[in-house]
Amino acid sequence: MNKTVLVGLCAVTLSAFATLAQAETIRIANHGQAGINAMKSTVARIEKKYGVTVEVVEYPSPDKDYMTKLLTELGAGNAPDIFSAPTTAYVADMVAAGYLAPIGAEFKAWDGYASFYDVAKQLAVSPDGETYVMPFMLGIQEIYFRRDVLEKAGISTEQPKDWSDLLKRAAEIKEKTGAYGLLFPAGVSWGTGAFDEGFQHLLVGSKTPQLATEDGKLDLTGEGVKDVFGVYKELIDKDLMPTQPLLGPEPWVIPKYQMFPEGKLAATTCGSWCYIFDWGRESKNPIPDVEKAVGTWTIPGQAGGQYVLANLAAPWGVNAKAENLELAKKVLMEIGSVETQVSYAAEIGNIPASKAAAQDQAFQKLTELVPIHAAAENGVYLKQAAGFATVAEGVARATEALLRKETDAAGAQTILVDYAREILGDDAVK
Amino acid sequence: MTDFALDKPGKSRRPDLMAYATLSLISAFCAVPFFWVLLASLDGNAQLFLSWPREWTLNNYVRVFAEEDGARWVFNSLFVVGSATLLVMVLAGLGGYALSRTRAWWKQPFLYAILLIRVLPPTALVVPLYKILLTLNNIEGNLVRIFVGGDTARAIMRWIGFIDGYLGLILVLATMQLPLALWIMKTFFDGLPRDYEEAAVMDGATMLQRIRRVLIPLALPGLAAAGLFAFISAWGDFLLPLILLSSPELQTLPLGLFRAFLRVNTIDYGFLAALAFIYLMPAVIAFGFARRFLVQTFSGGVKG
Amino acid sequence: MVRSTYEKRVARQLLLILSPSLLLLIAFVIYPAVYSVYLSFTNEALTGAAALNPRFVGLRNYSRLLHDAKFWNSLLVTFLFVVGSAIIGQFVLGLISAILLRRNLAFKQLFSSIILLPNAAPEVVAGFMWISMLAGGENATLSRIVMFFGMTPTDWLQTFPLTMIIVVNTWRGIATAMILLTAGLSTIPKEVFEAARMDGANPSQIFRRITLPLMMPTILLYMLISAVSTIAVFGLVYALTRGGPGGATEVISIYIYNQSFTAFQLGYGAAVAVVALVISLVLGIAYVRAMKVQV
Repeated sequence: MNKTVLVGLCAVTLSAFATLAQAETIRIANHGQAGINAMKSTVARIEKKYGVTVEVVEYPSPDKDYMTKLLTELGAGNAPDIFSAPTTAYVADMVAAGYLAPIGAEFKAWDGYASFYDVAKQLAVSPDGETYVMPFMLGIQEIYFRRDVLEKAGISTEQPKDWSDLLKRAAEIKEKTGAYGLLFPAGVSWGTGAFDEGFQHLLVGSKTPQLATEDGKLDLTGEGVKDVFGVYKELIDKDLMPTQPLLGPEPWVIPKYQMFPEGKLAATTCGSWCYIFDWGRESKNPIPDVEKAVGTWTIPGQAGGQYVLANLAAPWGVNAKAENLELAKKVLMEIGSVETQVSYAAEIGNIPASKAAAQDQAFQKLTELVPIHAAAENGVYLKQAAGFATVAEGVARATEALLRKETDAAGAQTILVDYAREILGDDAVK
Repeated sequence: MTDFALDKPGKSRRPDLMAYATLSLISAFCAVPFFWVLLASLDGNAQLFLSWPREWTLNNYVRVFAEEDGARWVFNSLFVVGSATLLVMVLAGLGGYALSRTRAWWKQPFLYAILLIRVLPPTALVVPLYKILLTLNNIEGNLVRIFVGGDTARAIMRWIGFIDGYLGLILVLATMQLPLALWIMKTFFDGLPRDYEEAAVMDGATMLQRIRRVLIPLALPGLAAAGLFAFISAWGDFLLPLILLSSPELQTLPLGLFRAFLRVNTIDYGFLAALAFIYLMPAVIAFGFARRFLVQTFSGGVKG
Repeated sequence: MVRSTYEKRVARQLLLILSPSLLLLIAFVIYPAVYSVYLSFTNEALTGAAALNPRFVGLRNYSRLLHDAKFWNSLLVTFLFVVGSAIIGQFVLGLISAILLRRNLAFKQLFSSIILLPNAAPEVVAGFMWISMLAGGENATLSRIVMFFGMTPTDWLQTFPLTMIIVVNTWRGIATAMILLTAGLSTIPKEVFEAARMDGANPSQIFRRITLPLMMPTILLYMLISAVSTIAVFGLVYALTRGGPGGATEVISIYIYNQSFTAFQLGYGAAVAVVALVISLVLGIAYVRAMKVQV
């Protein structure tokens, strides 16, 4: 024990001297190799501009593990100064827990603010009306379909008009090609995917397009919620989407990286990054000539219309307990710059939230993303409320029950409502 | 399943053949996974599947240290688990002696309590444990910050912090190994005659002198057993570092291995296997030493 | 009189040298166990409003447990996991190994070393190794073995998740069973076997009439010890399946972890933990009584 103490003391003294000599340090949480790469140039820029040391702390890669670690540390008060949330759904709860510092005033005063899309600015506003996150990237999802497979089988590749048209198309694919017709992420092991990459895209086009009520509560009893589960129910029961792989860990691997490239799955929801990373030039299992072979549909509404749902992708925020809040906020604005946005777009394939990115030369090279970026102008969004992370988990559980064919649409809605009530309390859920 | 009794010379060889076949099957079941790790770690093009390497290389091992922070993970693991083991040996040596020699009322309840503590699943304790450590950590952190600021305080807390610090993990790991170690040492001292101590008492030796001159030399085999078991169990622990550590500087081998495996898009089996093998070796070596104590320790319960 | 003050001093000193251990055990085991009971009556969480202002919710977490199908599922899975791996798998293979290794076979040392080996593998390494053995596709080791016997391969951890974690945990624990049962066997006097053989009993009769009954106390103790330690298994299942697919391998320790750290409901997780603590304590008390410890 004596030796331990001695070694400890020596090291403490040494590191004390070492750190005294250094400039101020800002600690940034990051996870996943792509995210770390995307931030590299920004980190260098921040260090130069503000004369600080930026320490990038690497967190576990999967979003769930990342959140576990981040929230545990936020609770403990030893979290980094700046960090991102994997999706919008986590933000309102983190605000309610008091983890995030308000940045509204600084964000609006910042010269980059004006060029942000409205949908991004709106998405960043929390239920209390204050802004806590930098909404610098948008996640935009659409339905990606195998144009080559459909054309060969003589199936229409027109944009489906409404839900029933979409379901009919999926059934037709199954019938004529034998391939699965349409995949919406579902189940618990996909994490927030069931909500983020499927459920909410259908919901915004349903009869009850919002979950948050005027007074910041949640209303999960809407008819639209049941109808959305009804779409899942039909896809699953008619065997139009693969279900077995979704029950395992990493449920996206088989359908997206094997079945879709092989043509055994003909349509799936996917984000703007899919052309580049999932099946394109950065993929391990690319589809040749992907932009021709794979087409996109926007997700139709229940009774017609088209909905481009925008989500915040990895919104960044400042730790309410950061030692130097001023500096941390300045750094956050740096992360919002067009340069960083384009770097993220190139590394991860998300859509820059700033209109100014369209003029950026580096972004123009990302030809797959340019049209999607332009379409973000008409993006719709779900109004945020505390408890969205719980809703996401509830949707995952409800769709899991559907995958296991244990319930129907109404039953799935009951699972969601019960779960949210249990966790959030009866007063937060209508 | 042929002959359940003892061997009799000159009996037929058929039962022996059956015995060899059965044992070979069980051994194969036990050994095959290890082959994969060993072969994959030496394979320049390792796959998730067991296969004979076409190109033999030590490159995977080199990369653990050159490309990743392998040396730091090894150091952290050795330092944390080594310190915890030492602590366990000291505390269990003293405590085991006390438990063996005392005639006080608390002897019986304490020993029962130790047995019961051993059965509590660590997962069930980890949340409150975390909250307790958190409270201690915050108190300590505020104290430290009275004297030094910002980065220095963080550097100090990395050593003596209860959350995300060496000290907290060492103490908790040691505590989890204490019940078994106390039990081993108590049983061990029970088997040591009191004559030596009494001779020392006659010579007017104090308690401390008695412990140092007489008991430590006598207790070495017991301490070795207690220490080895503490080491093996703490070395293999995954839950506590998973919950208690987050700084990359403090990562231990199990976390390094687990997190490397989680980098879904780039699973590099050769690298992982090399890392796994490095993590495996100290445990196997310690187990080799501990083998001769296994029977006494596990059967300690049986003999009562 | 001198004697008695001396003894008092010794008693004090003995308590003193035991106190550091006592302190650590109270701080990091007993207090957390008690504290988890308290936590289970609150809505403590890692995120959301409850993280800022946790409330006392009385028995709500427990009434929720009663209706939580996933909780009952995890109890069932834990039960099957314990019975499958500790009570059946490890026991049967451990007993066979113990009995066979009592004979004077060549390579006896080698066999027993190999059987001990899995016990030394840290949980994460064990998980990693078996992910390879049980992977999907025709090249994975288990798939190749079943194909050799003309059966169809599958993605083992997907198709038979619970069976597979039972197999892996069996693999890890044969050694413990073997060691304990060897010790138990060695307490049976050789003369008993000799006499039985003289009377013309065949091996299976000897096993059923002599070995088993005489070993019963050892076997009972082994079952209790291994049941309790199997309930505590976490890292192995976490590394292999994390409780999936669809909760098929969500043993109680994984369920506690998932509730606490992936659903962020610390209070509810604590309620599940209290159930696990109670089950373990009941088994532990049975164990202490069965041991008839002369402490």
